This record gives sequence, C-alpha cells and structure tokens, in this order.
Amino acid sequence: MSYSTMLIPAVEVIITLILALFIGLIIPGIERKYVQARIQQRIGPPVTSSGLWASVKFLYKENIKPNSPAPGLYKAMPILCFVAVLMVFLCLMPQNYAFLVLANLIAIVGFLKVEEIAYVLMGSLSKSVMSGGLRFDDHIKGAIRQGLLVSYLEDISSSRSLRMIIFGSFPLYLALFIPAVQSGSIYLGDIVAYQQAHGPVIFTLAGAIGAVVFFVGYMILLNEYPFSIIKAKSDVIEGPYMELASKYRSFVVVTRGFLIVTLGLLFAVLFIGVPPKLFSLGIILDLIVILILPVIMAVCSAFSPIFTNRQFYPTVLLSTFLGVLAIGIAALF
Amino acid sequence: MEEKKAKKQEIIETEIQMGTVHPAALEPYRVRFFVEDEIVKDAEITIGVNHRGIERIMEGLPVEKANMLTEKICGICSNSHVWNSVRTAEKGLEVEVPERAVYIRVIVGELERLHSHLLYLAHGCEVLGHETFSMRIFYIRETIMELLGMIGGNRVQYGCSLIGGVRPRCELDDNRIRRILEGMDVTEKRIADFADRFLHDSIVLSRVTGTGYLPQEQALKLAVSGPTLRATGVKRDLRTDMYEYDNFDFDIITQDTCDVKAQLIMRVLESFESIKIIRQAIRDLPEGKIADRSWEMIDTDIIESYIEVPRGTCYHSYAIEDGRVRGSIVRTPSMSNIGAMQYASIGNHITDAQLCIVQCDPCFTCSDRAMEVYDMNNNKLDKSILNNHIIY
Repeated sequence: MSYSTMLIPAVEVIITLILALFIGLIIPGIERKYVQARIQQRIGPPVTSSGLWASVKFLYKENIKPNSPAPGLYKAMPILCFVAVLMVFLCLMPQNYAFLVLANLIAIVGFLKVEEIAYVLMGSLSKSVMSGGLRFDDHIKGAIRQGLLVSYLEDISSSRSLRMIIFGSFPLYLALFIPAVQSGSIYLGDIVAYQQAHGPVIFTLAGAIGAVVFFVGYMILLNEYPFSIIKAKSDVIEGPYMELASKYRSFVVVTRGFLIVTLGLLFAVLFIGVPPKLFSLGIILDLIVILILPVIMAVCSAFSPIFTNRQFYPTVLLSTFLGVLAIGIAALF
Repeated sequence: MEEKKAKKQEIIETEIQMGTVHPAALEPYRVRFFVEDEIVKDAEITIGVNHRGIERIMEGLPVEKANMLTEKICGICSNSHVWNSVRTAEKGLEVEVPERAVYIRVIVGELERLHSHLLYLAHGCEVLGHETFSMRIFYIRETIMELLGMIGGNRVQYGCSLIGGVRPRCELDDNRIRRILEGMDVTEKRIADFADRFLHDSIVLSRVTGTGYLPQEQALKLAVSGPTLRATGVKRDLRTDMYEYDNFDFDIITQDTCDVKAQLIMRVLESFESIKIIRQAIRDLPEGKIADRSWEMIDTDIIESYIEVPRGTCYHSYAIEDGRVRGSIVRTPSMSNIGAMQYASIGNHITDAQLCIVQCDPCFTCSDRAMEVYDMNNNKLDKSILNNHIIY
C-alpha cells in the first residue's frame, strides 16, 4: 500500500472527526435554543453557549480536587468515555471497514458498554457534599434514627447505572442487530454493501420497527429526559458527574456531543447504509440524520416528565419486545 | 388504610440525605430519607438553617414599623403577613376598616393566592421533571405578577395593608380595574387550557396518581392546614370565618384522592375560585375612603389573629405597650405541614420523595423560628458561651 493511499484516508478520518466534534458541540445549543426554548415560548440561550462555549469555558475554570476515594481514577473516567466513543466513531469510518477487524457490531456494543460502565465507576467514586450537608442529628425535634450508614446521592446513581447496563440499554443493542440479521453479517462493510444492493433497512418492516427501538435506546444511552434516571435533578442531581470540574467537566460536555454524533452515524450506517465518507453526497444525509435524532429527542424530552420505575420498566419492556419482534421479522423474511 | 410508618426497631440499612442545598428544593433544608432499595421507609425534615429572628427584631419596634417588617417574612405571601399583622393591631386597637379598603385587601389577597398556587404548580411540574409545563405556568403567572406590581408597586413585596386601611398607592381607579378584569379573563382561560392539557397527559398522570398518599385522618392528626388539608377531603377554609369574606360567594374546594394529583388539581380549582372572588370584589367595590387614620394607640394585652393564606393558616400575635410591639409570635402554615411532608414521602420511590414534600407547599424559610447551637463536640452552647465565642 502506497504512502498516499494510507495518508489520504487518514486525513479524511481526521477531518471527519474534527467535523463531528464541532457538530457535537453545536447540537446541545440547537436542542435548547431551537427546540426546547421554542416549545416553552422563551428565547433560550445562544446556540453556541450550551456546548461550544461551555466546553471552552470549563477549560479555564479552576480545578478542584474531587471528593473521592480515588480522585485520579475518577478524573480518568470522562477520558475513558471519550476514548470509547472515539473507538466507535473510528469503527464507523468507511476507510476502516477493509482492514480494521473491530469494524463490526460486537466491537461497537463492547465500546458502548465500556462507556456505560464508566458511569457505574464514576458514581461509586464520587462522594460530593451535596448529600453530606448538616451531618448531625436533629437535636430540637429529636432524630428518629441515629447512626445509620449514610449513602451518597451518587451511590444511587451508580446502582441505577448498573441497572441501565443490565436492561436499560437493551433496546439499543437489540436494534443494532436487526440490520445484521437482514444482511447476514455483523461486519459493517457487509451491512453497508447489503443495503447498497437491496435498499436501506429502514424501509423494511423490521428496519422501521428497529429504528423506533433504536431511538428509545438512543435516548436511554444519552441519559436524556425522560430516561435520565442516573442524573435526575429531582433526586441525584448530576449523579456521576457531580464532582467533575474544569477540564474534566469540559470532557463530559465534549463527549456527550460526540456520542450524539456517533450514535447518529451508527444509525445512518446500520439503517440507511450511508457511511460517513467525506467529500461524498452521503455525508449530507449523515448530517441530516445526526441533526434529526437529537431534535426529536429534544421534543420528546420537552413533553415528558422524568420516568420513575413505574414508567421506565414498561417502556423498556415494550421496546425490548418490539426489538425481539423486529429481529424475528428480519430472520423470517 | 394502615398507617404508613416504619417501626423504630426495623432495621433500615441506608440513609440518603438531601440538602441543605438541593436543586429540587427552593429553600435550604435537610431531609433524611431512610430507604430500602430506593423506597423511602421513613423521612425526617430538618429546618433552621435560614433563621432570621424576625420576631426578635420586631420586639420593641413601633407597631407600624413592625407591620412593615412582617412583609419580609415571606417572598411569596408577603401581603398575607402584613395583612395579618395589621389585622392583629386593628383587632387590639378596635379600628374599623373602611369597606373599600377591605375589598382592596381581598383583591390583593386573592391575587396573591393565584400567584402562590401557580408557583406551586410550576414548582411541582419542575420537580416532576416537566420543564415545559413549569415554564408555561410561569408564563401564566406573569400576568398576576404584573397586576400585583401595578397595585402594590412591586412584584414581590407588594403588601397593601396599613392600620386602618390600605396604602394610598393601592387605590383602584377605573384603569386599574379594567386591567385587573382583563387579567382575570386571560388567566382564567390559560389556567383552564393548562388544566385540560395536564389532565389529558397520561405520562404525567402516571407520575402523580397515587404518589404521596396522605390520608384524611393522618392529615387531621398532624394538624395540616390550608389546601394541603382540603386535598384530603376536609372542608375547612378559614376564609369562611374571616369578616373580610362575609360578602363574597365562593366554594370550598376539596379533593378525595389524597395524592399529588389531588393536591395539584386542588390548586387549579382554587385558582378559579380566587378569580371568582376578585370579579365579585371589583363588581361590588364600594365607594369611599381607603384608610381611616383616626384611631388612637392604646396598650393592649396579647392579641391573636388567624387568617387563611395561600398555603394554610397563618397566625400572628403580639401585645402593644407604649405603641411598641411586645412578645411577637408568627406561625406560618408550613410549620404544621412539615409532618405531612414526612408522612407523604413514606412508601414512595426516592425520585418521587421530593415531589411528596413539594406537594405540601413548603415554605421553610418563613417557618424558621428558633434554633439551638451545638459545637463540634455536640455540646449545646448557651448564651454565655456564645457571647465568649462570638465577636460582635
């Protein structure tokens, strides 16, 4: 393989990565300014402030030592999340289909699981003062219970993250395998080739159901309202991120935007068969998909309260059922 | 239904503390939830971190000055406190208030009830996680705030009462009356639209139905007052005993389901009653002066006054000696509703627990009345020790 044939794809991937990071930082602003603020009849923040300038701003903030039993490990978690998302992104690049053995669904599921596990660790490693204020008994009224083991709010978040890993994100993973069942391969190259020959998966019955299931899983994986049980303002506040400040908080903002873009690309590759190839018309379609999904997500978030177990379990069960149904349909037809 | 109470001997493994600073709480307070698998088995609310010593400051102040100070007790029901404090003095000094002033007090009082109930609904929706509903209600509330600003001169501290009537600033001319009536039409339609939307949202209803159950007998046992009590089915409203409301026709709204849904619907329906009262007051607004300042200051024994404020029963009492306030006591409705908040959160998921507290319309900062100070070694500090420790 010549030097130029190696270099040009690498440059394409890097440019696509920069583009993805930039779009990822704009998307939170679009969600808040053009969707949620419009629905709520208010002006909303500037488009660039929620993602782009927030991440730059955090870089210049003073860093505080997190209240954690292992501060170094805790601070490394956002970076681990970013690396996991980056790996998924690299797997999706068409330039890597031919020689990257990781360009398959099993690897993508694995990397996404790493991203989820990071929340469990972050939650259990964070011990913020938000749940430790006034740690003494009520002398005036008389404390009703004394000397109990006090849990931090992040501990709840951590156990909820674990539940999310076990069943919460199940619909997303089921949806990922619908195109694989239809194309008969778990390799992205084969799935794309199948769709270029037979048309996009989304236009089949199984694919259409799968797209809905994917979207539910997409919202769950992004911890977006109404599924944001691991960082709900009404109880656990920011959950695993509570003690992250400065550049680490910036990493969180960047990673979330990047994950939105990556999952959008994943949808485009698996359900429409359009890989993100720079300087092709397909990249425009990818961009549209990347923007449409968060916009629909923002609409759903704006019109829904946060789910508790009573709403969360039935939603996940129904989505899982639909996912299994779609896989069954894909296998049969 | 069996009383929801975890036995003292029961082993509860985990305690979750929320506060004193928490985004779901508008005010500083600490709540300890004793949980098992994220279900609250017991709860304990501690207030006292925002003690301002208003009653102590009132001690020895001239009565009119003390009345103005009571307005600062609460940012939400500021008018109610100054109204009740003035009412206390009027009762002791046997001042007869002109009828027009009484009507203006009722109008401002009901506008305050409207804004308080709308704030309650907005806060409830925010704790539910439904930001859009919350924003919509704040948008509806804006009309009321503008009307209060128009009458009282401020959007928050708009108390209109003074001994013998209302401030000259609060006189209602034709233009103001027209604006109030227009505001009521707009607000009534918007609240009705919101209620319709709210009651047809199955996801929201699934969050609030059956959550924060507070049975009637428990509410009575805990001496709960105001809309929180009426939402359990008890038809008790102190406005029926207040002479100011003698000429007004309104219904006492009650609900039977005793949950968060009942509390929310309660506020919506009470808002319509408030609009009804305001319209009646405007229609029958008597002519005449708005203040009678011909009263004489005399010494009185302890005077007590109870009124129905948006959140329940508000109590003010003091004696007057040489025109100055002595032995002032203020008790806000949240003081008696704290027990209900603790009780309602038992048996609910921890995400719903803050909602159960919010459903009782807490206003803890106004309820802070006394505190004890302990040092790091858990020793109670008395006044002499405090004097040695604190540099004035």
